[in-house]
Amino acid sequence: MRDAFWNGIAALMVVTGPAMAQDLAFPPGKDARFNWDAYEALKATDLSEQSMTLLGPWLGPDKDLVESVVAYFEAATGADVQYSGSDSFEQQIVIDAEAGSPPDVAVFPQPGLAADLARKGHLRPLGEDIAAWLAENYAAGQSWADLGSYEGPDGARHFYAFPFKADLKSLVWYVPENFEDAGYEVPRTMEELKALTEQIAADGEVPWCIGLGSGGATGWPATDWVEDLMLRLNTPEEYDAWVGNTLKFDDPKVIAAIEEFGWFARNDAFVAGGARAVASTDFRDSPKGLFAAPPQCYMHRQASFIPSFFPEGTVIGQDADFFYFPAFAEKDLGQPVLGAGTMFAALTDNPVAAEFIRFLQSPIAHEVWMAQSGFLTPHKGVNAELYGDPTLKKMGEILLGATTFRFDGSDLMPGAIGAGAFWTGMVDYAGGKKAAAVGAGIQKTWDTLN
Amino acid sequence: MEQLGLAAGTIVAGVFGCVAWFWGANLLLDTLWPPRGPDAGRNILRANMIRPWLFVGPAVLFLALYLVYPVLNSAMRSVMDAGSREFVGLENYRWLLGDAKFRESILNNLLWLLVVPALSTFFGLLAAQLTDRIGWGNLAKSLIFMPMAISFVGAGVIWKFIYDYRGEGQDQIGLLNALWTALGQAPQTWLALPLWNNFFLMAVLIWIQTGFAMVILSAALRGIPEETVEAAILDGANPWQLFFRIKVPQIRGTIAVVWTTITIVVLKVFDIVFVMTNGQWGTQVLANLMYDWMFRGAPDYGRGSAIAIVIMALVTPIMIWNIRNARKEMA
Amino acid sequence: MGTIAGTRPRLIWAVNLAALILVLLWTIPTFGLLVSSFRDRDQIATSGWWRAPFAAAQTGFVRAGAAPDQVQEGGEYVITGTVLEAGQALRAWGTSSRAPAGFAPGEVADLGEGRRLSVAPDGRYRLSASTEFTETRGMRIFVTTSAPPRITTENYARVIGAEGLGRAFLNTFTVTIPATVIPILIAAFAAYALAWMEFPGRALLVAAVVGLLVVPLQLALIPLLKFHNDIGLGKGYLGIWLAHTGFGLPLAIYLLRNYMVGLPREIIESARVDGATEFQIFRRIILPLSFPALASFAIFQFLWVWNDLLVATVFLGNSADQLVMTGVLRELMGSRGGDWEILAALAFLSISVPLIVFFAMQQYLVRGLLAGSVKDG
Repeated sequence: MRDAFWNGIAALMVVTGPAMAQDLAFPPGKDARFNWDAYEALKATDLSEQSMTLLGPWLGPDKDLVESVVAYFEAATGADVQYSGSDSFEQQIVIDAEAGSPPDVAVFPQPGLAADLARKGHLRPLGEDIAAWLAENYAAGQSWADLGSYEGPDGARHFYAFPFKADLKSLVWYVPENFEDAGYEVPRTMEELKALTEQIAADGEVPWCIGLGSGGATGWPATDWVEDLMLRLNTPEEYDAWVGNTLKFDDPKVIAAIEEFGWFARNDAFVAGGARAVASTDFRDSPKGLFAAPPQCYMHRQASFIPSFFPEGTVIGQDADFFYFPAFAEKDLGQPVLGAGTMFAALTDNPVAAEFIRFLQSPIAHEVWMAQSGFLTPHKGVNAELYGDPTLKKMGEILLGATTFRFDGSDLMPGAIGAGAFWTGMVDYAGGKKAAAVGAGIQKTWDTLN
Repeated sequence: MEQLGLAAGTIVAGVFGCVAWFWGANLLLDTLWPPRGPDAGRNILRANMIRPWLFVGPAVLFLALYLVYPVLNSAMRSVMDAGSREFVGLENYRWLLGDAKFRESILNNLLWLLVVPALSTFFGLLAAQLTDRIGWGNLAKSLIFMPMAISFVGAGVIWKFIYDYRGEGQDQIGLLNALWTALGQAPQTWLALPLWNNFFLMAVLIWIQTGFAMVILSAALRGIPEETVEAAILDGANPWQLFFRIKVPQIRGTIAVVWTTITIVVLKVFDIVFVMTNGQWGTQVLANLMYDWMFRGAPDYGRGSAIAIVIMALVTPIMIWNIRNARKEMA
Repeated sequence: MGTIAGTRPRLIWAVNLAALILVLLWTIPTFGLLVSSFRDRDQIATSGWWRAPFAAAQTGFVRAGAAPDQVQEGGEYVITGTVLEAGQALRAWGTSSRAPAGFAPGEVADLGEGRRLSVAPDGRYRLSASTEFTETRGMRIFVTTSAPPRITTENYARVIGAEGLGRAFLNTFTVTIPATVIPILIAAFAAYALAWMEFPGRALLVAAVVGLLVVPLQLALIPLLKFHNDIGLGKGYLGIWLAHTGFGLPLAIYLLRNYMVGLPREIIESARVDGATEFQIFRRIILPLSFPALASFAIFQFLWVWNDLLVATVFLGNSADQLVMTGVLRELMGSRGGDWEILAALAFLSISVPLIVFFAMQQYLVRGLLAGSVKDG
């Protein structure tokens, strides 16, 4: 009788076991390209009956993707992870942390905000061993580790946030067949890119689509431009100095980068709709000009996420493609790449949170997402064969091949600058204000910050 | 299902709780100091001293907890540093005075205060008067009221289709530019036109608030005693005189209420600016500036709170005016 | 009033016309959104909504077949197919993005290297070559077509079919109804006391209510959530009801008090003389007479709570059993927004309920009129 009871339990477990595995995007053990060892190793940690909350900015399809990754953690450890997404993440994390009801783990789209919460004592240090691991296992690892290290409430630097999921910003999107029709070549240096821009304009066509509109965040696409150009005009050290404001915003070097952006964006012949369309065109509508017939423009500089705003049915690699936003040949600055990353930080002492961060170190956490879509990782231990499509793979190659990798500077600057004065300043610049005046204005705001 | 039960339960409990409180407290008062017997006079006096507080008690409690407490909290934060750790005195206010964005916001807010309440009330009054006199009045009212029912995100999209800009030669998807180019003009970036863009944003709020003004004013217009209107007509008043000399003076109080309410909405205006320009191109307003400092990037509660205090200080004239009115009513 | 106006037909015309103009002005923006909600994203981004009912000339491209589609026809390799979809008519076509309308229907284009392309007026194309096709990807044939107006209900299907919308609908009602009823009750009593009872500090209290109207919501969020956490309320329905009650009270008290002050003094004083208690006066006289004001405030509070996302995300949380409709709709829009078509559809779905409430409440606004005329009799 007793045996029958236990057999029944065992039978139940057999039944529920595979059922759970079916919920996973890729059945464990099946596809040999994945690092299933990492998944199996995770099973040693038993967290059943325990739970944690995860708050992030991802909604819609992105939410399904992050949940598909989390599912592996849940399946292996038995823990219950409650993900909730918010489109006003920044505001919500601040309110929740201040009010004393923070999520266990939060996903920060901008390191600047994480740094601020760390300084106010809302984040829990993850341990320097993880920082050391990052330096070792991520491409350009030290810079990733630095990205997650902030001053704590005690004034000393600790490692607080784990970078997981990278975005690539130094990309120029184009329609290869439009290039073929017109006989244009993909430029390999900045000089060539500028020559191409002039040539397209001389042909009576419009080279660029640039849109800075983004509702409440209008202006940010221009900050990416300026950052990319900063990296192409100056050394990485100078870029870092600029982000840390030891190189001032009104420094000629910064003004030069802003003006370089102006070379592209403030020329009526170079941008679709003329220069004044730049600030008021929504960044989501802007790339559509590439696909018009005849094309409204030939090139669009934007980060790796932009294909979601291409017309329906556009096949990347066929109907549209991208090339690396090139560096000046005459300046010996290598191949700088601008990117961004989302940061996972723990806000409570919940042991599940610590385990979850450890899970993010395992290759399998990266592979599950990269095998689907929209995910880039600098993790060197993952199988690059798993990238869901050739586009991601190509981006992954740019990421791994970077001689200099720098993060979106506006994300690292204080919020009042990086999510404020810099945006508005660039909008003013696109509207015709002088670069020197814009730089001076931003610097003035920065000076008032304590 | 369980949740419906919970909701229904709350409504019942809430309603009963409120009624029980007011009724029970009244009963208690009447039992303690019965308004009859030898001490009736003294008892009524005593009970009447306490009774008002029974009536306003729950409201005062809520107001104190949910509004006064946060305000005091902000007042305190406004004299502290970014993380509310150290006392900095009036440093945040000093910073405000020197901040160009703050000056821009104050000026814009004043502009809004001049334009929006006046036009909203005017259109609301017009709509109320017109729709009360036509057969399809209820339908017309509903249509004018509709903008009030749309969330601000929806309103943002609606007006995108009005103000949107496309380069010359392209198909305009914004109505205003389509009309403008049809007149043979070059398309304009409406929301980026200095000074004018403020008015384009105001149009959105007027569009929304007219429904509010109309509903309140229409109720007031219908409350005007027929006799006064008939008497005026017998005296030979024409429709204009009837409206401005007879009707409007009688609902002056309601007009003031509508004006005040919309003025306060304007002081707090945030959503529209946030969604449509986020204060760029010289359209910043106080509430959005406050939001920027409180929640954007690295929040600075000190500065954010200082701006909040300024917003609240701006309402003082209206408060004083209301105190005087209340005193007059009492007399 | 109707009979008097009836004697002046020209005035009636003027009034009707003026009302019509006003209604049109106020409706056109929303109407644009309504039309947009039946269009797909690419249409919304490329042509104005007022173009929706007309046949639109569109220029796009169609990919011709590739190597696997070819057949051999008398020494030629041929790929055939059609460039038109049902209902479209061909106006022009081309082979290059530079000249997308370079050829008229029926013309033949020489592509060089022995290749020729022709597109017939009925949309059938014929791509022929002297040598075998090897491309795996077909060439682009640009076509300028005029298509009948296209409307789609797909946006609505997506919004209505969204996961968890039913649940969210229920959640929203759970939030909205108590959050509308409770403040009205509390405010009505307070408004009566502030309007008709005499006590020291009354004017100050009135002023305080006006002052509190202006408190920006954003500044109250952190202290209040902290307060809820401290007293153990945490995030939940009780918390959001209390929060909405607190935030809605100033306007409720202000509107109701001002309405009640306008009620005729004689009625209340005669009731007092008749020995009615304050509670009786309130219940039997004030409440029925104040119905229009109560109804209008109910409408505003309902709307505000219905459309609110900020208070809901802060005080209620984002888990599935607490997500309100605005939250689900926000999720539909994705992390970066910009899905105007979804936004348009959801804006219309979400105003339908408030509009029903408004229509229902309008009856009571009329009843207020009747009550008002009774008072004079």
